[in-house]
Amino acid sequence: MSERILSVPTYASVLVALLILTVATVGVSFIPLAGHWHIAAGLGIAVVKGGLVVLFFMHALHSPKLTWAIIAVALFWLSILAALTLCDYFTRGMVPGMPGH
Amino acid sequence: MSPENALLTPADREMLEHTMLVRDRLEEQYHDLEQQSHAAAAGMWVFLATEVMFFGTLFVSLGIYRFLYGEACEAASEKLNWAIGGINTIVLLISSFTMALAVHYARLERRKALTTCLLLTGLFGLCFMGLKAYEYYTDYVENLIPGWRFVSQEWVDQEGLSPDQVPHVKLFLLFYWIMTAFHALHVTIGLCAVAIIAVLARQGRFTRSYYAPVDVLGLYWHFVDLVWIFLLPMLYLLGTHSADSLHL
Repeated sequence: MSERILSVPTYASVLVALLILTVATVGVSFIPLAGHWHIAAGLGIAVVKGGLVVLFFMHALHSPKLTWAIIAVALFWLSILAALTLCDYFTRGMVPGMPGH
Repeated sequence: MSPENALLTPADREMLEHTMLVRDRLEEQYHDLEQQSHAAAAGMWVFLATEVMFFGTLFVSLGIYRFLYGEACEAASEKLNWAIGGINTIVLLISSFTMALAVHYARLERRKALTTCLLLTGLFGLCFMGLKAYEYYTDYVENLIPGWRFVSQEWVDQEGLSPDQVPHVKLFLLFYWIMTAFHALHVTIGLCAVAIIAVLARQGRFTRSYYAPVDVLGLYWHFVDLVWIFLLPMLYLLGTHSADSLHL
């Protein structure tokens, strides 16, 4: 809930940007890229799209600091979840005698 | 309007209406309606933070399996109906736009525009669910349901995978079903909420100083859209497509 009101044209331009990025993300999947580049490109575009949705549609841009704190905490928890899980998976097999992939 | 109210000036009447609104809607633990609205929005943001953790576990696990079993995941991903996935992304983005407009008009107290935008959002949400149902049907026809409609030999014969890789295909497809089904559940809950809020909006329950339910519903709806934005590349776009892979 913010004090500042965004205009309808602002919402419309965000929508147009989101649609262009959606076409781009599907378009990239037609380019023969090696290995992990498809997922890297797809996620990169998804992060930009997600940012647009959170900042403009969800009004984070003009929200109180509390909202920003909650967003930061959510991302921090997610990074702990991802980092510790990845630490487990990518160090399996490094210790001799331990079962792993 | 009661005879007493007819004697009031417009400014007095507005003040009286505001006092009645506060009496009807303000919960006792809050100082004023603005503080109550802020608390409602913060509550929804906290709930969404827990949702980030819920979907986060699925995304991280899927990412790891994609890394470990790349070939099988890409083969399975190419079998998914990326065209419907892409169209559904556009449908959901447009529904998010109409939801943003609904909050916008609620804030400006334009009741008719608010109701129309909520109905449009519901319509696009239903459109999403319809396309999703059709996609699930094509998955059924194409034997993409592990444990029910799945032929291991097809993946060895047609996709050139080794028999050892077939369990990895099943794993990826399970993630596809679990993640899209949970997302569809969220859309369904959202649709019910949109219907309720649309009825209330039509009854004129929301005003310039009291529209927190619309605002909070908007946050939820945008989050569901956000999850789909990440589902599209993680499920449908792992491999390289070609024009003939369009299987509508």
